[in-house]
Amino acid sequence: MSASAGRIAVSGSLTRRLALTVAAWVAIGLGITGWFVLRLAAEQIEAAADQRMVSLLDAVIAAAELDPVRGPILARPVSEPEFERPLSGYYWQMTGPDGTVNTSRSLWDQRLPPARPDRPPRNEDIIGPRQEPLRLIERHVELESRTGRPPRFQTVTVQVAVTRVPTDEEIERLTRGLVLAFLGLGAALVAAVALLVVWALSPLKRTQEEIAEVRAGLREHVDVTAPAELAPLVQEIEALIEQNRATLERARTHVGNLAHALKTPVAVLRNALEREDLAGARAQAATLERLIQHHLRRARAGALAGAAGSEASPMAAASTLAQALKRLFASRGLDVTARGPEGARIRADPQDLTEMLGNLMENACKWAKSRVEVRVRPSRPGMIAIEVEDDGPGLAEGQDAAALARGVRLDEAAPGSGLGLAIVVDLAALYGGTLQLERGQRLKGLLARLELPGRILPGG
Amino acid sequence: MRLLVVEDSPDLSRQLRTALTEAGFAVDLALDGEEALHLGLTEPYDAVVLDLGLPRLDGLSVLRRWREANRTMPVILLTARDSWHEKVQGLNAGADDYLAKPFVMAELIARLNALIRRASGVAKPELVFGPVRIDTASRTVTRDGVPVRLTAMEYAMLAYLALNAGRPVSKTELTEHLYAQDFDRDSNTLEVIAGRIRRKLGEGLIETVRGQGYRMVPPG
Repeated sequence: MSASAGRIAVSGSLTRRLALTVAAWVAIGLGITGWFVLRLAAEQIEAAADQRMVSLLDAVIAAAELDPVRGPILARPVSEPEFERPLSGYYWQMTGPDGTVNTSRSLWDQRLPPARPDRPPRNEDIIGPRQEPLRLIERHVELESRTGRPPRFQTVTVQVAVTRVPTDEEIERLTRGLVLAFLGLGAALVAAVALLVVWALSPLKRTQEEIAEVRAGLREHVDVTAPAELAPLVQEIEALIEQNRATLERARTHVGNLAHALKTPVAVLRNALEREDLAGARAQAATLERLIQHHLRRARAGALAGAAGSEASPMAAASTLAQALKRLFASRGLDVTARGPEGARIRADPQDLTEMLGNLMENACKWAKSRVEVRVRPSRPGMIAIEVEDDGPGLAEGQDAAALARGVRLDEAAPGSGLGLAIVVDLAALYGGTLQLERGQRLKGLLARLELPGRILPGG
Repeated sequence: MRLLVVEDSPDLSRQLRTALTEAGFAVDLALDGEEALHLGLTEPYDAVVLDLGLPRLDGLSVLRRWREANRTMPVILLTARDSWHEKVQGLNAGADDYLAKPFVMAELIARLNALIRRASGVAKPELVFGPVRIDTASRTVTRDGVPVRLTAMEYAMLAYLALNAGRPVSKTELTEHLYAQDFDRDSNTLEVIAGRIRRKLGEGLIETVRGQGYRMVPPG
């Protein structure tokens, strides 16, 4: 990692990101669910309590009588002992039509809120005589006066109040239990996700260790038995390693070739120097330079083997080159033109296309009398032809015949062969193209036809 | 002819200065881009040899800033990398020629001579003034077909006047173009040199224009 750490930006931990997201969702989800469950349970509890109070109220009403002297009274005791125990939290109170009030013994000298016979009956929470929360329900009932003849029905307000403390305590207990249970559930969920992530990512970790081992030279390959999601990544890495190995192999071969190629001229150079043969030494130095050039270019071509995917415009390259070459050959006043569709694209690195075209166009400029023409056009399907033609002498007579007869491919062109086209052939082959030389039909000079994979952009 | 050589390698710049001085050029050296930029903007050079990889300011930027300031002297680029991508960049930034390292000194001198000739509007390498023929490519001078031996300074003065034939050239201009910056300039020596050229090639070849300097009558 140390070698490339400078270029890798670490964008936070996947585990932490997942854990945080899951924690947030679990908190929201469990929170809402918990609140609903709690509400339902609390309503249930309160409904039960209310139900019990209504039974008590019914019992009180059933036992009530309207006494002409004492007002509303209980004709017989209600079967709830708490009404008898002072300040027990269970109270009843009845208010007669003339305002006489009778209460349960438990109320002692206290009173419930005064009756309001003209308003709808209450069902509400109040504060009781011991400052405890009470639930109060009341009902307006018509009671028959026992003495009246004919009997008269008169309105009596019956109130029952019961402490809320046990209900509230029950709800609180339930709340505490539920919150604890949900907290536990949430924590368990987050922990499970975190564990899952760690477990799911463990193949990555193993792959990383294996790559490190490949880098350290401890193993040759990355283990390709990876989960389906990781397999493509591992395959890519494996391919990259393979490509590196191949590149290294090529580099070794190049260096070997270079060293080998340099040995002979160096030996000759040394001999020439010992004999003080200056001309011989100069010739060997020139040979050395040519070899260096040749190998440098080959090395560059080899290094580019993986540079797929880029596209270059032959018209753009030809125009820039034409401008530069006109300047280079300013004294000869050459007319260098490029014609063809602007939308033509060659599937090659732009610098390599410039290199190929530059060599062909410079060669044409060297031999041209006054004109050099570059023509770009689609040739076969998927191929673009770039023709560079000059009005110079063309190929020499002997070469000419051989070249034209065979439509020569200069694959074997040696460095320093005088044509300077070896690099063009190398690069063209690298990109799946060809170079052909023939006699030009328009300008009657040399015509170099470079065919490379490419396309014409629509609308270009 | 006065040259600016911009090259940061001490060995190569020393070799260049020696070889180009032997070839009759007055040579100023600049070892980095900023020094080169300054010299090129202020001194009247007949040509520049410019290395592309320079400390402080790269060669392409130096070249662009000269051209922006309308300095039109011919520039030949020297570089270790000779990809067309780089050549195009150099030429389209305003360079006139291009030489890849390693190069042969004779090639550089020939190209410099060609560039200087071209900048003076002379197409052919041979300049003819009656019986006197000056070959700027091989730097040889003949009178009636007989080779004449000239010292480096004599040849430099003759070539400069010949390339600017028809126009009087002041002693100041001659001094600026025949001597390097650090040379002890003495205009009296110009008269001595002009005298020696006239003795060797004929009195009428170089005219003295009173108060203006020297002039050669155009060929033909």
